[in-house]
Amino acid sequence: MQPGDRVRVERADVTNEGVLMPSSTSDHLVVKLDGGYNVGIDREAADVEVLESGVHEVDEGGANEPGEVSEISFDEELPTISLISTGGTIASTVDYRTGAVTARFDAEDVLRAVPDLAGRANYRGRVVANILSENMDPSIWTDLAEAVREEVEAGADGVVVMHGTDTMQYSASALSFMLDTPVPIVFTGSQRSADRPSSDNVMNAVCAVEAAKADCAEVLVCMHATESDDRCALHRGTRVRKNHTSRRDAFETVGGKPLGEVDYAAASDADPSDGEPASGVSFRREHAERGEAELSIAPDLAADVELVKFTPGMDPAAWDYLDGTDGVVIEGTGLGHVHTDLIPRIEELVESGTTVAMTSQCLAGRVCDRVYDTGRDLLDAGVVEAGDTLPGTAKVKLMWALANVENPADAMGRDLAGELTEESQPWR
Amino acid sequence: MSDYDYEELGLVAGLEIHQQLDTATKLFCDSPTMQREPEAADRELTRYLHPTKSELGELDQAAVEESRVDREFTYLAYDTTCLVEEDDEPPRRVDEEALSVALQIADLMDLTVVDQAHVMRKLVIDGSNTSGFQRTMLVGQHGEISTSEGPVSVVDLMLEEESAQRVEETDEGVVYSLDRLGVPLVEIGTGPDIRSPAQAKEAAERIGMLLRSTGSVKRGLGTIRQDVNVSIAEGARVEVKGVQDLQGIEDIVRGEVRRQAELVEIRDELQARDAAVGDVQEVTEVFADTDSGVIRGALDSGGKVTAVPLSGFDGLVGREIQEDRRLGTELSDHAKRHGAGGIFHTDELPAYGVTAAEVADLREAVGAGEGDAVAIVAADPETADLAIEAAADRAESAVVGVPEETRGANEDGTTRYLRPLPGAARMYPETDVPPVEPDSSDVETPELLDEKAERYVADFGLDEGLAEQVAFGHRFPLFEEAVEAGVDPTFAAATLESTTTELRRDGVPVENLTDEQFLGLFALVEDGDLAKEGVNEVLTVLAENPGMSAEAAVEEAGLAGVSEEAVREAVVEVVERNAEQVEAEGMGAFSGLMGEAMGALRGKADGEVVSAVLREEIGKRS
Repeated sequence: MQPGDRVRVERADVTNEGVLMPSSTSDHLVVKLDGGYNVGIDREAADVEVLESGVHEVDEGGANEPGEVSEISFDEELPTISLISTGGTIASTVDYRTGAVTARFDAEDVLRAVPDLAGRANYRGRVVANILSENMDPSIWTDLAEAVREEVEAGADGVVVMHGTDTMQYSASALSFMLDTPVPIVFTGSQRSADRPSSDNVMNAVCAVEAAKADCAEVLVCMHATESDDRCALHRGTRVRKNHTSRRDAFETVGGKPLGEVDYAAASDADPSDGEPASGVSFRREHAERGEAELSIAPDLAADVELVKFTPGMDPAAWDYLDGTDGVVIEGTGLGHVHTDLIPRIEELVESGTTVAMTSQCLAGRVCDRVYDTGRDLLDAGVVEAGDTLPGTAKVKLMWALANVENPADAMGRDLAGELTEESQPWR
Repeated sequence: MSDYDYEELGLVAGLEIHQQLDTATKLFCDSPTMQREPEAADRELTRYLHPTKSELGELDQAAVEESRVDREFTYLAYDTTCLVEEDDEPPRRVDEEALSVALQIADLMDLTVVDQAHVMRKLVIDGSNTSGFQRTMLVGQHGEISTSEGPVSVVDLMLEEESAQRVEETDEGVVYSLDRLGVPLVEIGTGPDIRSPAQAKEAAERIGMLLRSTGSVKRGLGTIRQDVNVSIAEGARVEVKGVQDLQGIEDIVRGEVRRQAELVEIRDELQARDAAVGDVQEVTEVFADTDSGVIRGALDSGGKVTAVPLSGFDGLVGREIQEDRRLGTELSDHAKRHGAGGIFHTDELPAYGVTAAEVADLREAVGAGEGDAVAIVAADPETADLAIEAAADRAESAVVGVPEETRGANEDGTTRYLRPLPGAARMYPETDVPPVEPDSSDVETPELLDEKAERYVADFGLDEGLAEQVAFGHRFPLFEEAVEAGVDPTFAAATLESTTTELRRDGVPVENLTDEQFLGLFALVEDGDLAKEGVNEVLTVLAENPGMSAEAAVEEAGLAGVSEEAVREAVVEVVERNAEQVEAEGMGAFSGLMGEAMGALRGKADGEVVSAVLREEIGKRS
């Protein structure tokens, strides 16, 4: 008896026929009845007869291996957009017989999953990883940056990175530091999985492709701007944060309005033959223009960097493990503070050669350690202020700075990729 | 209508009953299950649904016909709905209260409860579910209910989420209200064991009684929906949706049997005549100078007229198959599905401004001779083509017999074509909700409503009619609480049923009355603080003042109780005391005396009454 077999199950006065499913517990057989319902039946109490073996193939895998590149039919009039997948569910499909959700990825698979993308561009498809985004690893950021460089070199006019939403902001930050790009690199994903008709994947993908065609050369995150399917926001990769666990509009630009947006109605009605480079895309503020920068890459990272959060009541011993690390980013309170008792600990770290940067758990606003005694003591201990850089972005930046710039401590106080504003002007 | 021998015709019917549960929270979130008015919405969101190609590839005909690309769905959200209804948060676990009610229902219908219930997603892409699917789970199987004509099997019991209520259709799409989405709903399907219209009604009645016996189902319009599957031996399975009430079920089955029997007779006649459906063609020329309003209107706005010759159909298109419905009506229903206003056919022409000469030309144009009929559609070119094809297809199936389809119940007991029968539902597991293992061991079997009625007669001495009214009404828990508290059973029953019915007829909003108000009122009567004669008046005040206590209402009723005689007496006294002033100033004295009169009545009387009486009395004296 195997999943996929057609079975007859007798249990007390009820007889059921259907297809045996991979069961979730050892106590129950799960049978898909002809009406479509699954039902769990006590294994011990049931009498099972296999009517036919292997009626349905129960496919539990089938995703592409990393490294494959695929391309589909080419139209010279259209720009070429590279679709890079790191996993996530934007292009997953569901098998109705088994209910299994399979993440598939080559360009054709994406077009099959999101037919609305067809005709907007020539697509190149590529898989860099096939992981859940919480399992994202800095080494994959490096692979991703390399892949983007290769795609741009191969002629992509824009890159769309399909990424799980949990750690999208970290990957977007990493690419912002690693790459000088002449074309847009647009991250997108979905908050509601692609196996449901209401998934946000279609609108996010359509808007991301339009953004990747736009006259812009930034690393962007393109996700729902509101709970409605009306427009996507374009966030700068180093200023964006996932601020809600489940809503479609979870992503926000901290401290201001997003850099731009894509109007879905305009994007979906786009007629690629009208000569418009991108449909529905508008920008609110100054941004790097297409073609300005030479393509270059600095993909090295120092792995040994920790982001630590100070909270009241913390045992200073909790920071003992930081000994010997290359870099530490502290998420302090308010203007950038920790308990006075922790200052000697920080002093030790700095003296032993660790770069210690301060950010704030307020998220919005600039750290300033010159206002209160604690702050001044922190500065005396050798802490560098990361301005208004977001804590997560600061961690990625410090990893990159330690591997790529001469004076990382100094770099933490300067803007490298739009992560730090020089002046505290309210963003409009 | 002739009475049919249902056994001979081979009538087979089954029921599908949907009942909303009256639980504190929804099936997959903690929002209350209360209904809201669309005006109370405080937020709106718009969405699209995107069934992917692989999904559509597997979708059945009915679902495809229902879904139109690029339809925009607008959802109204309230302070009583949350992110789960908006499909912006994963569902919670299956509501325990709803599951326990479902288990009670399973118990009452002798259903075997599944060992492990799996929540499934049933694809629904008409926008009525924000997610694009309905969550549903199979809870029980293999049950039975009894009727006087024998047992009827209950095949399955499902616990599922109610869809969002359709508010309106706009040019862009549909507006739905989220208040109803997620309310627990049980679906009960019987086997095809019903053999007569009366048995269909009885079975539905029995199921309804069992459901209400739980005391946990919603009452009122739209909270229970009944679908009936009907076929006769030579007919076909037809699903009739949305039968409003129990009497309706009997009428629908009767009417559907008649329709199928008539269609079978028409089929036999058509086959005997070697009938056939000819090719569709355009006949705009025939009507170039027509005075028929409908056709003229269509042509003047750029439309055309299409026709299909129906060879051998003469006289049969106009044959009645249900009250006021003909084979022609069926053709017309199909044409309407494709946007036409309907069809005309030669069995009913000349009429509607179409002249005998035009009919003759039409027949000639399509080559229809004696014994043939012609159907026409006048509409914009695209619609005219689609609609006449649809009508032709329906005529074609008339030669074969009764088509399988989904029909909608009309209020007069007839039915109309809705869509093809749905195929097997597209279902896949709801991975966000873990399976549940229902535990029926501590389910209490509720007392059935008919048993309850008998007990009220035996134990409380209620007369049978009143006992039944209370037991089957929604206030029986309150009745039992009142009797427990020492209230006279007959008085409590009469107040809760007869009195409220009487007041409702007088336009008093009795639905506002709360249990607390009733219990307060009963206590006052029991304690002798209120005469039974005052009950109607106090209930009226309570109903009109939600939140008021019974004590306050008695006082209020007392105030309002100053009779016109008493007012007149007081007013006359005031007028007489000021006779000189009245004589000198006439109506000029009114405002001064009004204050005095109100003072004399110490504010107990309605100012308008006092004013009217005062004017009258001053008038008499000046």
